[in-house]
Amino acid sequence: MSDTFSYFLMAWLDPQLLLLTALGTLAGIYVGAIPGLSVTMAVSILISFTFAWDINNALALMVGIYVGGVYGGSRTAILLNIPGAPSAVVTALDGYPLAQRGEAGRAIGLSTVMSVIGGLLGTLVLAGTAPYLADMALEFASRDYFLIAVLGLLLVSTLSGKSLARGIFSVALGATIGLIGMDQVTAQPRLTMGSMQLMGGIHYVVVMIGLFGAAEAFYQLHNLNKVPIKQKVDKIIPPLSMVLKFLPLSVRTSLIGVIVGALPGTGGDIASLFAYDHAKRSVKHPSRPFGEGAYEGLVAPETANNAAVGGAYVPMLTLGMPGDAVTAVIIGALVIHGLNPGPMLMVETPHIFWFTVGNLALANLFLLFFGLTGIKVFTKVVEVPKAILIPLILVLCVVGTYSINSSMMEVYWMLGFGILGYWLKVFGFQMGPIILGVILGPLLDETYRQAMSSEGESLGGFLLALVSNPLSIVLTSVIVLVLLSQTPAKSWLLARTRRS
Amino acid sequence: MSKKIERVQAGEKVFDWLLLLLSIGVLVEAYRIDGIPGLNSPGSFPVGLALIMLASSLVILFSHRRKRRDPQIRGALHEFQVFWSEHFQPHIVVFTLVSVAYLTAIVWVSFYLSTFLFLSVMFIYYRNGRILSSLLLSGLAIAVIYVLFTLVFRVYLP
Repeated sequence: MSDTFSYFLMAWLDPQLLLLTALGTLAGIYVGAIPGLSVTMAVSILISFTFAWDINNALALMVGIYVGGVYGGSRTAILLNIPGAPSAVVTALDGYPLAQRGEAGRAIGLSTVMSVIGGLLGTLVLAGTAPYLADMALEFASRDYFLIAVLGLLLVSTLSGKSLARGIFSVALGATIGLIGMDQVTAQPRLTMGSMQLMGGIHYVVVMIGLFGAAEAFYQLHNLNKVPIKQKVDKIIPPLSMVLKFLPLSVRTSLIGVIVGALPGTGGDIASLFAYDHAKRSVKHPSRPFGEGAYEGLVAPETANNAAVGGAYVPMLTLGMPGDAVTAVIIGALVIHGLNPGPMLMVETPHIFWFTVGNLALANLFLLFFGLTGIKVFTKVVEVPKAILIPLILVLCVVGTYSINSSMMEVYWMLGFGILGYWLKVFGFQMGPIILGVILGPLLDETYRQAMSSEGESLGGFLLALVSNPLSIVLTSVIVLVLLSQTPAKSWLLARTRRS
Repeated sequence: MSKKIERVQAGEKVFDWLLLLLSIGVLVEAYRIDGIPGLNSPGSFPVGLALIMLASSLVILFSHRRKRRDPQIRGALHEFQVFWSEHFQPHIVVFTLVSVAYLTAIVWVSFYLSTFLFLSVMFIYYRNGRILSSLLLSGLAIAVIYVLFTLVFRVYLP
């Protein structure tokens, strides 16, 4: 117990870690807020610079950026009607009307406090559930990991983007990229097109920087001359009565955020959508109609998306599966530092888990401080013209990619993925599913082959195993239900139920 | 009750056909791993993924039957013109070309010089010829990159 507590307080007591968490949170707020920059982009680029760092220092900075970035997106959503991050898209629905009514300061203050409440509740759930889940996960068979990964990829295909087919294509494309290189078991080259350079595979950080950094830079060129409308900001700190009034809603939507965040592959953007929908259904008398500046419409997504951060860490630390795109990148950081994200993390390196929990809590406290101060400077910084920002993003992508293996070939790959990502984005494909595919593809391959081996390479045995123990049955049933929900069978079943 | 008709973007169909070709390419490459794969062979999963890509790209193409082209687009040639004007605007083309030139120049000219030139050219172009301030901004960016990445992060630069 005392060890756990000392690990928890590690980031709180070490001045260097304290400073890195604070810097990360502050930087995250700006990264999340500046349209064109994203948390995933920042963490992807950052990961390559922190290869040589101590893992605690690297994690402290990344956790800070993650927590700050998820919140930061809401500020520009409120002030400029431009969500800085996908998780803040819903925030703009009521946040911007509030700003137009001259209540921008109050909206920012309330969203800060609610984000912190959501973030702390998410961290609490992480601390309370992850150790038990990790214990359970030690008993999971390969097929269960396979099923969880399939479920995660299916969920991300279903919930992101404009069609299931596009989502599935993105996931399969990502997984295919993840498999390029030598087979881990037989050392046979796979999908290398005869190229020696591809034998070692394509580093997933290269893919991430290309898809999230360079592609975004190209995409933002379409909005090069867009000038946002500025808002007047005053009275930031919300009264206690206001916070207390919305507390029950924030607790409910925090739980939604944690649960949605904990589903492998989903994240704050989906959590905020669910929470907003819940608020619309459950709040009978909102402060104003939803969409016209209802505080409830601001509270719900803001608590949910920050609570989803804690949730996203649950599958990452217990199963080694990313909760969202950012945790996919953080998994990479852990692996690079020789750690083993998954159930064994709690056994081999419990300090990493409790350090992360303590760090998340600390980052949320810094968020409260930075969120309620420095708004004047903030409004100036987010007005950085894209004409300056976009070329700088590309330079950062080059530096970040080169620092992985000091290879110019990887820089060219990064640019290639940037151009591919641009076209995919233009035609409605999401980058998140591709990245999750890249990360989960090799894991799927490995667990599938292990499961197949344990069933004596018999397809019948493999299929039978899927319905042979309670966990596998539940997971298989959920996968089938998710698939059915995307087919005409759903409407047919609903119609039949109504008739009967 | 009228159902909202989905619109297909200019160039979307061609792109989706290219995705189908990519899927076929991946399938051929996956097949080359070990022919028709066994259930537990190195090629089994790549072939499975390629088949998923192929099936989903066919579904995407099939979904175009439900979509309609923008009524303002009069024909294939006009669609090409719209596509071209949307995605090949001068500032996008210039950025892409200068980026490629920048990445090529890094090897020959050194990172700092090529980055300075890249930033200067792009800033001057995007900021409508404000030469002095663009050069100053580029110089400042180079100084920040040097301090941050060479001194603080200690990363190897090209």
